[in-house]
Amino acid sequence: MTAEPLLVVEKLEVVYQRAITAIQGVSLKVYPNQIVALLGTNGAGKTTTLRAISGFLGLDDARVTEGTVTYRGIHLENREPYEVTRHGLSLVPERDKVFPNLTVAENLAVVPGRRGRSNRRMLEQVYHFFPGLKDLRRREAGLLSGGERQMLAVAAGLMCDPEMLLIDELSLGLSPVAVQSLTASLVAIRNELKISILLVEQSAVVALEIADMGYVLENGRVVLDGDAQRLLNHSDVQEFYLGHTGGDRRSYRDVKQYRRNRRWYG
Amino acid sequence: MQFAVNILVLASIYALIASGYVLIYRVSRVLNLAHGELMMFGAYLLVTTAAGLSSSPVVAILLALAMSLMVGGLVYLFLMRRMTGEMALAAVLTTVALGILLRGLILMFWSASPQHPRDTLGWENPVLMLPGDARISLFAALLVASTILVYAGLFAFLRFSRWGMRMRAAGQNPLLAAQRGINLHAVFALAWALSTFTGAIAGMLIALDSGLDSTMVMIGLKAFPAALVGGLDSLLGALIGALIIAAAEVGVIKYVDPLLADVIPFAVLVVMLVIRPWGLFGTREELDRV
Repeated sequence: MTAEPLLVVEKLEVVYQRAITAIQGVSLKVYPNQIVALLGTNGAGKTTTLRAISGFLGLDDARVTEGTVTYRGIHLENREPYEVTRHGLSLVPERDKVFPNLTVAENLAVVPGRRGRSNRRMLEQVYHFFPGLKDLRRREAGLLSGGERQMLAVAAGLMCDPEMLLIDELSLGLSPVAVQSLTASLVAIRNELKISILLVEQSAVVALEIADMGYVLENGRVVLDGDAQRLLNHSDVQEFYLGHTGGDRRSYRDVKQYRRNRRWYG
Repeated sequence: MQFAVNILVLASIYALIASGYVLIYRVSRVLNLAHGELMMFGAYLLVTTAAGLSSSPVVAILLALAMSLMVGGLVYLFLMRRMTGEMALAAVLTTVALGILLRGLILMFWSASPQHPRDTLGWENPVLMLPGDARISLFAALLVASTILVYAGLFAFLRFSRWGMRMRAAGQNPLLAAQRGINLHAVFALAWALSTFTGAIAGMLIALDSGLDSTMVMIGLKAFPAALVGGLDSLLGALIGALIIAAAEVGVIKYVDPLLADVIPFAVLVVMLVIRPWGLFGTREELDRV
């Protein structure tokens, strides 16, 4: 990769309520026009990392205590969410991602434009990637199915005219069909709009299938990173995220502990 | 028939004022307990512009209206803005302090003696005859018409305009609104400006109809039960709540005792709070905050 990275997270440490360290020394890079997957189990620190980037931390009484988040060279640690959005990063949160009492069209219309692009043009673009939303535009967002809601959330994130989309748990609670259609849309968005996507996922298959790069988090640290294809074939990922077993299998915990020790100390 | 007209006029007054409570509460979950004072402040602004521009009354009124729009915005920018993100209680107490401050200012600048801006402007207030032998004063009729216009305008604004939608969005989920790049401060300032504006319309028309002194605050306070009975975050609720409160008040004045007039809105309020604390059309999840 010859280009400069868009987003650089360097040795990030986040502390909740001044006492609980959620992530420790997480570093990652996202290059232009790249889809990057951030993987890990519950509580690994994926969402915290994403929130630290998007400025949502202050609301949970958490702070970035060490490390840096820079986007195009601009420091983003402990900023307000709307400032981050204005710089071109747009977050699709895990929960409460749409305004339930507003219609689909209204959900998209409330987003102010960036870089002077007209709302109408952005709307055409969004309906191009999510044609299904056009038929639903008069429906209240609270009445949408999970898949439709996720579609609307990504679409609304796109209305912010971002250079990078941050998506928290794309596939959580959705049917395989819905997930497939969403990932296809994400790839199309990346290819046509040339924007980068940082994808937080529990499902390694979903994420690594479309990602260029991947990072695996465990207990607030990055334990594995690299090319998505390489990760997909990596024995640890195979074993713990894809459920492929090979050879004599011990209990999940033992293996995990053993492998981690081997990686860190050996 | 006269009975119905009296209810209609009083309901219009309450509804017009209650819309201001609803606008601010709906967007920022703050009860603006200075609304009565802000409304009165608008009326006093008219007293001043009327004195300066008695030859062109319409300009005087438009100027006073524009000033009250600004006053609302400025109150947010210089005072309430610092309260965003703080406890709702702190914000509500700030509005109480603001109300007391405004009352003091009004006494200082305009004295406590009754003012009659209509006389200053040289306007009459003829009594109009309605079918069924009912009477209504010209400015009371204008009040009813203004209420209808203001409500139609507010409904259309919230439904169709982009800033109206943003106000609804911010009311539902301020966090998500901020994340989508919506400037919450602009939305809140707009809510305060509009709220003070509609309050000022009510204050000015009441002053033009029957003069004003510092007891006008009481009218503002009595509109508060109307907003609460209807449900604090619903404009339609405010309209219906105003009708209920006005009907109860006019009914008691006619059939029981006129001295009870000021008590009735709050009696209805207490009954409502016991039966249905979130109001007729309010959102139930607000329960823990009421």
